[in-house]
Amino acid sequence: MAKMKTMILTGTAALLIGGSAQAFEPESDQPIKLMQADWTSMLVHTEILNIVLSTYGYTVEKVIADDSARYPGFESGDLTIALETWQTTQDKAFNASVGTGKVLDMGELGPHAREDWWYPAYMAELCPGLPDWTALKSCAEAFAAPETAPKGRYLGAPVAWGGFDEERIQALDLPFEVVHAGTDAAMFAELKSAYERKAPIMLWVYEPHWAPSVFEGAFVEFPPYEDACYADPAWGLNPNAAHDCGKPQGWIKKMAWAEGEKIWPCAYDIVRKFTMDGDEVGKLVYEVDVNGRSVEDVAMEWATANEAKWREWSACAAN
Amino acid sequence: MASDALRGKGFGWVYGAASVVVFLAVSILVLPSDFAGSPNAPWLGVAAWVDRAMTWLVRDASIGGLALSDLTRALAAAAQAPIEAMQKVLAEGWVTGAGFNKTQILPPMSWLGLTLGCAFVAYRLAGPALAIFAVVSGLYLASFGLWISAMMTLASVLFCVLVALLLGLALGIRAHRAPHIEPVVRAIMNVMQTVPIFSYLLPTLLLFGYGPSAALFATVAYAMPPMVHATVLALQAVPSDTLDLARMTGCSRRQTLWRVELPVAMPRLAIGLNQVVMMTLNMVIIASMIGAGGLGYDVLRALRRLDFGAAFEAGMAIVVLAVLLDRMTQAMARRQSAGTTGTSGLRTGIILAGLVIVPTLASLAVPALALWPKAATLSIAQPLNDAVSYINQRFFDPLDSLRTFALLKLMNPFRDALQMLPWPLAISAVAVLAGWLGGRGAAFSVFAMGLFVVVTGYWSATMGSLYLTILAVLLSLALGFPFGIWVAAKPRMQQGVQLLLDTLQTLPTLVYLLPAVMLFRNGDFSALIAIVSYSVAPAVRYAIDGMRHVPPERVEAAAMAGCSKWQTFRYVRLPAALPTLLLGVNQTVMMALSMLVIAALVGTRELGQQVFTSLSQGLAGPGIVAGLCVACLALIIDTLLKAAAARAVQRNGVAHD
Amino acid sequence: MTNFGSSAPVALSVSNVWKVFGRDHGSFKSRPASARTAEAMAKDHLVGAVQAASFDIRKGEVFVIMGLSGSGKSTLLRCLTRLIEPSEGEIRFDGQDILSLNETALADLRRRKMGMVFQHFALLPNRTVLGNIAFPLEVQGIARAQAEDRARELVSLVGLSGRESRLPSELSGGQQQRVGIARSLATNPDFWFLDEPFSALDPLIRADLQDEVQRLQREHSRTAVFVTHDLDEAIRLADRIAIMENGRIVQIGTAEDLVTRPATDYVRRFVAKVPPARVICASSLIKAPVAAVSGLTVSGDATIADIASKIVADAGEITVVDPMGKPIGLLDRQKALETMAMKI
Repeated sequence: MAKMKTMILTGTAALLIGGSAQAFEPESDQPIKLMQADWTSMLVHTEILNIVLSTYGYTVEKVIADDSARYPGFESGDLTIALETWQTTQDKAFNASVGTGKVLDMGELGPHAREDWWYPAYMAELCPGLPDWTALKSCAEAFAAPETAPKGRYLGAPVAWGGFDEERIQALDLPFEVVHAGTDAAMFAELKSAYERKAPIMLWVYEPHWAPSVFEGAFVEFPPYEDACYADPAWGLNPNAAHDCGKPQGWIKKMAWAEGEKIWPCAYDIVRKFTMDGDEVGKLVYEVDVNGRSVEDVAMEWATANEAKWREWSACAAN
Repeated sequence: MASDALRGKGFGWVYGAASVVVFLAVSILVLPSDFAGSPNAPWLGVAAWVDRAMTWLVRDASIGGLALSDLTRALAAAAQAPIEAMQKVLAEGWVTGAGFNKTQILPPMSWLGLTLGCAFVAYRLAGPALAIFAVVSGLYLASFGLWISAMMTLASVLFCVLVALLLGLALGIRAHRAPHIEPVVRAIMNVMQTVPIFSYLLPTLLLFGYGPSAALFATVAYAMPPMVHATVLALQAVPSDTLDLARMTGCSRRQTLWRVELPVAMPRLAIGLNQVVMMTLNMVIIASMIGAGGLGYDVLRALRRLDFGAAFEAGMAIVVLAVLLDRMTQAMARRQSAGTTGTSGLRTGIILAGLVIVPTLASLAVPALALWPKAATLSIAQPLNDAVSYINQRFFDPLDSLRTFALLKLMNPFRDALQMLPWPLAISAVAVLAGWLGGRGAAFSVFAMGLFVVVTGYWSATMGSLYLTILAVLLSLALGFPFGIWVAAKPRMQQGVQLLLDTLQTLPTLVYLLPAVMLFRNGDFSALIAIVSYSVAPAVRYAIDGMRHVPPERVEAAAMAGCSKWQTFRYVRLPAALPTLLLGVNQTVMMALSMLVIAALVGTRELGQQVFTSLSQGLAGPGIVAGLCVACLALIIDTLLKAAAARAVQRNGVAHD
Repeated sequence: MTNFGSSAPVALSVSNVWKVFGRDHGSFKSRPASARTAEAMAKDHLVGAVQAASFDIRKGEVFVIMGLSGSGKSTLLRCLTRLIEPSEGEIRFDGQDILSLNETALADLRRRKMGMVFQHFALLPNRTVLGNIAFPLEVQGIARAQAEDRARELVSLVGLSGRESRLPSELSGGQQQRVGIARSLATNPDFWFLDEPFSALDPLIRADLQDEVQRLQREHSRTAVFVTHDLDEAIRLADRIAIMENGRIVQIGTAEDLVTRPATDYVRRFVAKVPPARVICASSLIKAPVAAVSGLTVSGDATIADIASKIVADAGEITVVDPMGKPIGLLDRQKALETMAMKI
C-alpha cells in the first residue's frame, strides 16, 4: 500500500503548518462529531473548528442534523459539539436538554441574535412614523393584502418557532393579522419578492443573517423586552396582557455532549474558548451566500489569516 | 348480476341504516355539545402513550437481553460501512487527516472515467441513445460543479435502492407464499408509505443515530412498499401452467423461485424497481435533512440563500441521476427477462475497467480529470434567478389577483365548510359509503379509522389536510386525465412525456416551491401548487395506461356501430379504462397526501404542520399520532377507491374477456 | 393407434379417485357413498370435479381423456400427477402409490419418470430453446455441457435444428409447442402427460404436431395420458378414450367401442358425427376364420377408412392379419362397404 501512496496536499498552508502540530497527541482517536445544520454561519464556524481540531490530530466527523431534531443525538453521544444554538428558537429545548445533565452549555459563541418585526426602507415613506411601533396603528392598511384588508399582513416565522406574535398584536391592539411562513427560506422568499417590486411587506427577520445586509430596512422599535413583560400581564402598556413589548434579543451558544469532557478535555477547552465576532461572521456569511464562494475556502482563508487567534485557544494542545 | 353479488356479501341496507341512526342519536344526545361539533382537544392521551412507548422502545426495550437500541446501532453501523466505502470510491478518494494536514492517498474515480464506463454499459444494455444520455448527464454533473455532491448522493442512493429492492423482494415473496399474512403486510406497507417520515424522525434518530444510516432507514421505509406490492402482483401473475411445469420437473422450492418464478415475473418486478428508484431519489432532500448530504443538501443550502438557479441546477442533477439509474436498471431487467445480459464476459469487463481506471490514474497528473476546473464551471443560475425576478416584477399583480380569487372564493369557503361538518355525521356517511362499495369489513375499518382521528384530537387538522388534498386531487385530475388521454393517442410523444413525468416526480418540490412562494406568498395557495405539481404525474401516467389498454375489438365494434369519435370515447374507451383511471385517482391521492408535509413548509396549518411542530418541540408522540392521522386519511380514501375500482371491474366485465 | 393387446403390464393404475372443491371439502372423506351424489353434495356447497375415477393404463398405451370444458378432464390429469391433491383414491405408478409419497420423494418421482406438455406451452421467456429443453436436466443437477448435449439431440428430434439459441418470443406457436414437447422428453420419462397440448394452435399446425406425437410414440412408446376436447384428435391418437361428463367418466373404450357401442346418450351425441369407417377396425368385420393367407392382406388394427382403397380396387378376398402377420380371418366385404357408406 505504501508504494501507492500519493501525497496530494490541499494547499501550501498545509505544507507550512502541517508539520508543527504533529507533536500533540490527542487524548483519544474516537471521532469528535461536529453537528452542522443548513445555515451558512454554522457551516463556516463548524469548518473552522474542523480545521483547528484536525490540525491537532483529532479525528473529526461532520454530521448533518436538523436544527430541532438534534437533542436526542447530543444526549446519546451521536453528536459531540454544535457551535450554534439560538436562544430565539431553541431556548426551551436547549434548557430542557441541559437539564437532563447529558448536555453541556459551552458558553456563548459571541454574536447576538436579534429578531423582530422588520420592514424594507421604502416602506418608511408609506408609514412615516416608523420605526416607532405606534405608527403601525395608523398605517396598517399600507401593509394589507386582499385577504387581510383592512388589517395589515404580518408574515410571521414558522409556527414551530413560537414568537408570541398573535399575543403581541392583541396586547398592543395592532390592526394586523399573522400569516405564518412554513420555513426560513419561504419567509425570505416573500421578502425578496416584495423588495423587488417595492411592494409592502412586514415580516419577522433575524440577525445574523445575510438578508439585512442585502435588503435595506429596519426593525420596528417596540417597548424593549424585559422578562416581566412576558411573565406578568401587569407589566407594560397593557395592564391586562403579557407580551406587550418587543422580542428578546438572544444569545447563540455552543453545546456539547457531557461525557465527551472526559474523553477529549483539551478539545472541549478549545471549543469553550472558540468565539467569533458578530461583524466578522456577517462578512464570512456574505462571502459565501452573496459572493458564492465555497464554505471550505472561506473557512481556510479565515484560519490562515487568524492563526495566532486559534493557536491561542488551543494552548492546551501546544505543549 | 353484479349488484346481486354485491348485496350478497354486502353491508345490508337495513343494518347499515339502523346503525347509523342509532350512532347519530347517541352521539348527539349523549355527548357534550362540543364533541358533537369538531373536537380539537383529544379525548384520550394517545400522543402521551405513544411518547412513553417510544421512550421505552428506545431506552429500555430489549430482545433476549440485547437492548433494542444496541441492535439498531449495530445495524446502522453495518449499513454505514458500505455507504462510506462507496463514497470514498466515488467522491472523496482515500484521505487521511483533515484541516491543515489533509493528505490524499488515492483519488476518487475520475468523472471522465465513470462517465465513459457508464456510457459503455448503457450502450451494451440499451444502445446508443442511452449511452449518449449517459455522456450528457456526466458532462452536466461535472461541468456544473455538481460532481462530488452527485457522487455522494449516488453512493447512498445506490445502497438504498439495493436494500429496498432486496427487502421488498423478500417481503413480497414471503407475503405471496403465505396468503394469510398478505393483507397484514399490505396494510403495514400502506401505513409505512403514508405516515410522513418527519413524524417518526425522532425515534429513528435515537435508534439509528445521525448520519447516512438514519437517512437510509427512513428512505427504505418509504421506497420499499411499492416493491412489496409489485413483487406480490408479479408472482401472482406467473401463469399456473408455468408453476405446474416447475412442479412436474421436480423443482425444489428454491429452484422454483430463482429459476422459474422470478425470471418469469421480471417485467412486472421491473415496474416495482422503477418505483423504488423514483421514490428513493424523491427522498433525497428529506434524507439530506438528517445527514445524507450530497445534492439534497446543496438544494437546501441554495434555497436558504434564495439562489433558485443553483437549487434548480442541483435539483436537476437529482433528476438526471434518477432517470439514468431508472433507464439502466430497466434495460438490465429487460435484458434479464429476455435471457441476454450483454454485460457479462471477460472482454466487456476489461474494457469497462480500462475506461474507468485509465482516466482515474491520469487524474493524478491532470487535475482537470479529477475535478472539472473551477474556472471552467458552467452555471445558468444567474439567468434563472433573473427570470424569476423578471416574472415577479412583471406578473405579480395578475397572479396575485388570481390567488386572491381562488383563496377567498373557493379555497377558504370549502375549508370552512369541511371544518363545520359535525364529525359523527361525516364519519357515518363515509362508513355507509364504504359499506355500500366494499362490504361490512370496509365499513368497519373506515369507521374505526375515522374515530381514531376524532379521539386523538386531530379532527380539525385532518379536515385541513382533507380540504387541501381534495382540491389538489381534483386539480391534478382535471389537468392530468385530459392530458394523459390526449397523449395516449400520440405514441411519438410518449418518451418526452415519460421524461417530463419522471422530472416532476424527482425534481425536489422545494426547488419550484420557493419561486412559487415569491409569486403566490406563503399559504395554502402555494401549497396547493406544490402538491398538484407532484400528484399530477400519476394522474397522467394512469390515464395513458388506461387508454392504451382498451380492448381494440371493442373500439372496432364501436366503429362498426357508427359511433362518432366522442361516442366511442364516451361509451367504449372511458368505461373500459375506468378501473385503471380509478387506480390512478387512488395513486394521485396517495401522492398528494405524501406531499402534505412538504406543503407545510410554505405555511399550511394542518396535519403536516402538526408533524413539524411536534418535531421542533422534540416530542415523538404527537408527531407519530398526527402522522397516523395522515395514514388514516390515506387508508380511508384507499379503501373507498379500491372498492369502487373493484365494482367498476365487475361492471365492465373484465372477467368475461 | 395400435390395437392394444392386453398383454402389456399395467403401468398406471387409478382407482376411485375423487376431487372435491368447496368450502368444506375437508369433510368429504367421511361422507358415506349415499351422500356422494351430485345433489347431496351440492346441498353442502361441494362440487365433485372428479368423481370415482377408476381405470388402468397399460405400459406404452396412449390413454386419452376427453370431455367438454368444465368436465373435469384437466383436473383428473392433475390429480394423476398430484399437481392437484386428490380428495380420495389410489394412484399407482408401476405399483408405487404416489399419494403416500412425501414432498421430496414425489419431486424425485416426477424428475425421473414424468414429462408434461402444457396447453399454453409454459416456456420460460428468459431461456433460449436450448435452455428451455435443458431445464428439467439442470433441475436434476446434471452438468451444463451434458444437459445441453442431450437438449441438442431433442432439438433435432422435434425438428428445430438451427433455432437452438432463439428465445420463445421469436418462435411461432407451433414451434413453441415443439420446444414444450422436447422439454417434456428431456429426461426420457416413462410417463408422458399432455394437457390439451394443441388446442391453442391452428388446425394445420395441430395436424403436424399430432403426426409428430405419433411418430415419437412409434420410435419410443411411452405410457401417455393425453387430455383433449377434440374428438378427431382423440381418435387419431388414442389407444383408448375416456369420456368425461360433469366429473364422471361415462365410458372408457376404443374409438370403435364408443362409436359402435356408446354407453349413454351423451356419448352417442358426442360421437354422432364420426364416420364409422374411421373407427371400425378390419378385425371387427371378419366373416370367417382362415388358416392361410389368400389374396390381399390388411392389418387387423387398420380402420375401414384406411383400407378403403383396397376394398374398392379389388373384388377378391381380403385376409385380415395380426401384427405378426398371422392371418385372423377373411374380411366381410359386404359389411365393410356398408360401413363405408354409412353417413353420419
